[in-house]
Amino acid sequence: MSQFNRRNFLKALAVAAPASVLHVPNARAASKARVVVVGGGFGGATAAKYLKMMSPTLDVTLVEKNKIYTSCPLSNEVISGHGNIKDLEIGYDGLKKRGINVVFDEAGTIDPVKKTVALKGGKTLAYDALVLSPGIDFNYGGVEGYTQELAEGDLPHAYKAGPQTLKLQKQLMAMPDGGVFVITVPPGPFRCPPGPYERASQVAAYLKGHGKTKSKVLILDSNDSFSKKGLFEQAWKLHYPGMIEWIPGASDGKVVKIDPKTRTAYTNFGEHKADVLNVIPPHHAGNIAKNAGLTNEKGWSPVDMLTMESTVHKDIWVVGDSCVHGDLPVYAAPKSAHSAVTQAKVAVGAIIAKLNGQPAPVPYFVNTCYSIAAPDWGFSVVHVYRVDNGKLVYVQDAGGISVIDTPSITTLRRLEAEYAIGWLRNIMADSFA
Amino acid sequence: MRYRALCGMLLAGFMCTSHAADPIEALANTCNNCHGVDGVSVGPNMPSIGGLPEAYLKNIMLEWKSGARFSATMGRLIKGYSDEQIAALAKHFASKPWVPAAQKTDAKLVALGKKVTARCAGCHGETGNAGDGETPNLNGQWSQYLQLEAVKYRDDAVAMPSRPMRNAAKKLSDEEVKAVAEFYASQK
Repeated sequence: MSQFNRRNFLKALAVAAPASVLHVPNARAASKARVVVVGGGFGGATAAKYLKMMSPTLDVTLVEKNKIYTSCPLSNEVISGHGNIKDLEIGYDGLKKRGINVVFDEAGTIDPVKKTVALKGGKTLAYDALVLSPGIDFNYGGVEGYTQELAEGDLPHAYKAGPQTLKLQKQLMAMPDGGVFVITVPPGPFRCPPGPYERASQVAAYLKGHGKTKSKVLILDSNDSFSKKGLFEQAWKLHYPGMIEWIPGASDGKVVKIDPKTRTAYTNFGEHKADVLNVIPPHHAGNIAKNAGLTNEKGWSPVDMLTMESTVHKDIWVVGDSCVHGDLPVYAAPKSAHSAVTQAKVAVGAIIAKLNGQPAPVPYFVNTCYSIAAPDWGFSVVHVYRVDNGKLVYVQDAGGISVIDTPSITTLRRLEAEYAIGWLRNIMADSFA
Repeated sequence: MRYRALCGMLLAGFMCTSHAADPIEALANTCNNCHGVDGVSVGPNMPSIGGLPEAYLKNIMLEWKSGARFSATMGRLIKGYSDEQIAALAKHFASKPWVPAAQKTDAKLVALGKKVTARCAGCHGETGNAGDGETPNLNGQWSQYLQLEAVKYRDDAVAMPSRPMRNAAKKLSDEEVKAVAEFYASQK
C-alpha cells in the first residue's frame, strides 16, 4: 500500500471505527513514518531531537552541510574578545546517540508532490513529513559593490558565526586608536534584531578595554528604530559616552553602495569612510526554502501560525529564521534561536499529531533574547504568545524589555549578563544533546 | 525510557503521543530552553528546577506574576500564563527527579561553607536537602546560580520576599557567600 493510500485508509478508519479499535494500526503507521529535517541549526536540531524524544519509533533523518555548528548567539562577544568561539561550537554526536540519522550533505531539489528531497551528494530521501530550518541566505546585491567573495575575503559580514567572526575580530584588534568601525544594518526583518546594536556595544567594549577611546563605532541603519533601543542607548551613554553613533534611515543612514578598496560606505546623500567596514547585507529565507517555492514576495516562508506547517505546500513545516511567524504585523516573532527552538517543538507536536491522524495540540510560543552591552551589563526582551479564538496573539500583559530605570539596575544588568551565558549553555544542550 | 514504558501501558486505551499523555508537557517543553530537559540545567548560572518541591515552584511563580518577588526575566514570562497553568507546571517539574549537578568545587571553600551553613540547617537541612516539601533543594544546585541568588538577597533595592533569607545573606562576607554556594553545590 502506498503512503498516500495507507494514510487515506487510516483516515477513513479514524472516521469509521470506534476509538478502541484503531489505535494499534494507527500507532504503527506513525511509528514507521519517515521525517526528514533539513538544516542543523537551533531549529532543525531541536526538531530532530524532539521528534525522536516524543515518538522514539519514528525514522528521523537530519540533513546538515557542516559537521560543526557555531552558535550565532554570543558570537558578538567573540569579536570583542570576551568570548571564545570554541564555546559556541557543537557537533551532532548527541543527536546520533538518540538514533537520529545525521547525513552531512546539502539538500537540493525538494519535490513536494512526490515528497522527496534530493541531496547534492546524489541520494534522494523520501518523507512523510519534512521540516525545513535552513536559516538565512544573503542578498548581496542589496548593497552595490558588496559580494559574497568580499564577505569571505576582506569584508566579512560575520552574520553567520564562524571564520568571518574571527576575521572581523582581527580587523578590530588591528584598528588604530581614532579609527572608525562602521556597521551597516539592512532593512528589517533580519535575523537577531538586536544583533547589530549588541555588536556595536561589544566593539566599543573592546576599544574601551584597550584604551582606544578616541575610536568611534558608527551604525548606518536602514531602519528608524531598533530592538531594545532604550536599553542600548542607556548602556552606550553610561559605558561608552561619545563612542557610538547611530544614524537612522530617516537621517540618510541607509547604505546603498560601498567601495571595498577605500572602505567607504555610501548612503543616498552622503559617504562614510571606515577603518573597519562591516556590511550586514539584507537577507531572506535560506535558499533551500526559496528554491522549493516556499517563500513569499518578500523572501520569507509563510506558515500556519499554530502548527508551523507551510501554507504553500502540505506536509512541510518551516521553522526558525526562514519563516514569518507571530502575531503579525505588530508582534512578529523575532528571528532568534529561542524562537526557532520553540517553533520546532510546536512543529514536532503538530507532525506527530498529523501522523497519528489527530488534531494538532495547542501550541506554546515564547521568546527570550539576551544582549550583553558591556561586561556585567546584560538585558533581554521576552515575547509570550497564546491562542485566542483559534488565533495566535501576543500576550500584552507579559513580555517586553528589561526595566530601564530602577534602583536595582546594577544587580539586574549583572544577572542578565550572566543569564545570557547560562541560556546559551542550556539551549545548545536542549537542541543538540 | 519512562516514556516508552508509559506508551506501552497506554497503547491499548489511548493514542500514544506525548501531548495526549501529558497535555502540560508541550508548555513545559518551552522551559527546557533555559532550564534543561526535565528541569536539569547544564548552564551553571541557570538553576535546575526538576524535582524541586511543588509548593515552592508554585509559590515563586505566583510571586513573580504578582510582582511580589523580584526577577530579572521570569516575571515577564510568567505573566503570560494562568494560575492553573502555573500550578500544572509546578506539579510537572516537581514530579521529575532532582539531579544534583556534577560540578567542580573548591575544597577549602566547601570546608568553610560547611561551618558557615550550620546556621542555615534549621530551614535547609544539613546538606541543603530539607525534604519538607516546601524548601528548595540546594544540594547539588549550581554554585554560580546560588551566588547570583545571594546577590539579590544582599541588595536592598531588590524585592526578595523572605526576610530571614535577606538578613542571613547580609551577615555573610563575600568569601562566605562563595563558600556557602560551593558547599551546597558539592552535596549530592
